[in-house]
Amino acid sequence: MNLDDLLFTTYGFASFRPGQREVIEAVLEGQDVIALLPTGMGKSLCYQLPAHQLRGSVVIVSPLLSLMQDQVSQLKKMGEKSVVAINSFMKSEDKAKVWKHLSSYRFIFISPEMLTQDFVKRQLQRIQVSLLVADEAHCISQWGFDFRPDYLRIAEVIPLLGHPQVLALTATATPKVTSEIKKYLAIENPFVYQHPMDRPNISYDVRKFKTQDEKTDWLVDFVTNFEGPGIVYAGTRKKSEHLAALLTEAGLAASYYHGGMEHQDRIFVQQQFQNGELQWVCSTNAFGMGVHIANIRHVIHFQMPTSVEGYVQEVGRAGRDGEPALATLLYADGDEALVESLLIDELPTEHEIYTVHKNGIQASSLVEQGIIRETAFRVISYWLNQLGVEGTLQQIGKMQSEKLKQAAKMRGLIVGGRCIRDYLLECFNQQTDRKPANCCSFEGVDYTVYRKRILKTTPDTLTSWEARIQALMPMKNG
Amino acid sequence: MLFDELVLTIMKAVNHQRTVSSPFHLIKGKKSGQTLQDIGYFHLYPYFSVLPRLEKAAYDQTVQRFYEQGLLVEGEENIHLTAKAMALQTPVPLLNGWKYRGNEAVFFQRLSLVIQTFSHVSQGIRIFDPVQTAEDIQSWVKSYLRAIRFREPSVYADFNAELITTFKAIQATDQQKLMLMQRLSGYGLSGMTWKQIAGVHGIQPIDAQLQTVEVLHGWLEVIEQQRPPLLSLLAEGLVQQSALTETAKRTKSLFENGHSLEEIAAIRRLKTSTIEDHFVELAMNEPAFDHSSFLTNEILKEIVAVSKAQKTKRLRDIKQKIPQASYFQIRLALAIKEEQQ
Repeated sequence: MNLDDLLFTTYGFASFRPGQREVIEAVLEGQDVIALLPTGMGKSLCYQLPAHQLRGSVVIVSPLLSLMQDQVSQLKKMGEKSVVAINSFMKSEDKAKVWKHLSSYRFIFISPEMLTQDFVKRQLQRIQVSLLVADEAHCISQWGFDFRPDYLRIAEVIPLLGHPQVLALTATATPKVTSEIKKYLAIENPFVYQHPMDRPNISYDVRKFKTQDEKTDWLVDFVTNFEGPGIVYAGTRKKSEHLAALLTEAGLAASYYHGGMEHQDRIFVQQQFQNGELQWVCSTNAFGMGVHIANIRHVIHFQMPTSVEGYVQEVGRAGRDGEPALATLLYADGDEALVESLLIDELPTEHEIYTVHKNGIQASSLVEQGIIRETAFRVISYWLNQLGVEGTLQQIGKMQSEKLKQAAKMRGLIVGGRCIRDYLLECFNQQTDRKPANCCSFEGVDYTVYRKRILKTTPDTLTSWEARIQALMPMKNG
Repeated sequence: MLFDELVLTIMKAVNHQRTVSSPFHLIKGKKSGQTLQDIGYFHLYPYFSVLPRLEKAAYDQTVQRFYEQGLLVEGEENIHLTAKAMALQTPVPLLNGWKYRGNEAVFFQRLSLVIQTFSHVSQGIRIFDPVQTAEDIQSWVKSYLRAIRFREPSVYADFNAELITTFKAIQATDQQKLMLMQRLSGYGLSGMTWKQIAGVHGIQPIDAQLQTVEVLHGWLEVIEQQRPPLLSLLAEGLVQQSALTETAKRTKSLFENGHSLEEIAAIRRLKTSTIEDHFVELAMNEPAFDHSSFLTNEILKEIVAVSKAQKTKRLRDIKQKIPQASYFQIRLALAIKEEQQ
């Protein structure tokens, strides 16, 4: 069966998206593969489809619980039933059930810290693993914005599993990170697929202001004039709430989204955005994962992002349908200071380091209690293990200066006085010889290609519980 | 019932006798000996654990408001309500926290996934993003749907009818009922966040949360009375058979096998004070609890009489009047249900 037929009979898609075929072919030829595919290009298909040809299970290492849950639900939505997600927050009786039936799963999602446990390794040794996927492989880079220390230990599992093929997937990797992936996953001669980073349908707009208030005024004016859907990245939780309130006041269907909200509320905001009930979501960088909307027209950064990689990932959520989309970055004098303080907040604090050190093995329960942040915990325990307390403090210091360097690179995009597209591509060692007509604010942005706001008044008729039940569960004679 | 009314109701019940922060622990459902005992002493059963995720900052805001409105006397460790506060009427709550113990949230999670499924499937949509992401809820709902044969049109109509009939019978306001319905999702219709619901109804998010808990408790009550087949099955396993905590249950079974308090502490490797807590819990919850091995009827009567005469449930006050009684005996006596005394 050729690949197109396989794709159609398995998932009902008529054609591949750019890059998928190249990667899948290489996997099916038995090669190790590093695939750099932009966000929203259907990375998961690169292991999903081969799973139907390979013997045995596909093990996918996924860095965050929420991401893993989203991947599982997307797979199930596509009709895959033989899927399981293993993470340390599972109940032990559920885990026991999973171990018993491990070989029956086609897709096994696992967190890196589980993967490297001796017990888990033994369980995986019992079954045939045909493909080991390192998803979000840039997490392996200790200088990167998403460092997950346990990724460094994936390599030690590979020989135990009888050297399955390795597929490393990421949306954002500089050449430096790509070579780190090769090195730490110990893959010698991989097939590297690098999709052009450039997204020709996205135009880049940088707008400079004197004060924060000017920024706010501009934002309200802009969103009342242009049609969404759009995301406004606000920088902080508080700011996201504040901006959403302003937009709501201006009569727009807007809401906020951040990690401090109750889980159910977050799902509702995603639903509303997906259903078109919301035009604008003001959010922290927590929003994006689990949002599968192709027609996002605008991504607006109200604050300067902390790294070029993060910026590219967030901007990449716009215009997945290929239609024109606009990425707007708002900058006011002095924004660097805010970004720097945000960066430092993201890093493990001295207090967290000492707390984890003091609590030893029990420290993981501090994560569940919300005393230590999950990401900080991973980084701290890895370095404590490697370097001890003093070494960890030093290491975090080094990470801080590296992050400040990344912020400076981001600032370069704003003050560089040159084509933004060129600048971004250069950061990833790429270039393009075919610039789109509507490139960036340096070359001049044509706003007429973006639809003006359509004023709709959707009267909310669901003002009684009876009406709402009827809308949820319509009865023909009801 | 609004959040401030909830706090005021509890404060009235424990006025002068408990600290300003004690209602917080009760509302949050802290399982400490003190909180559990107070439920019995002061008849606070309805309010236990009604907002398990309540944040201290939100509670403190209410306390601050009470100070500013002249309801609560500032600068005292114990609650000291003013005459103005005592004169305020609070509504009779539909809450039954002690009975449902947060299980109303599980009921809601099941319900929302069931309704979302009905909503999509009845309109010809087979694939959607589940509004409940927890694996255990998803698999429970899957087997539930299979068991009730949800694809049959008659089952859909029956479910709809049960929903409307029981919902109508809840003693809550229509506005409250609407708030709960706004937390449900269906085809092309999303659930609303607490903030959004609060905005629509002109209240605070925390009030909206409390109002829906009230509706859920009221609803479970109706379901228990009317026993509609589909909804009863949906609530299966969620109503506590015994009000005891697991650990107190173990103590109870050892006691029934003839072990003394000290023996139980030794067997379970727990402090005797912990085992004493369990007995107080037993006294509070078990109508048939036999107190004779800890407490003679004379002392029991004496303690109850002093408590009533002095209008106090503070252990220290009672101990002063009856020095020969131990603190454990006083706690037991106060916990034993009035009808047994």
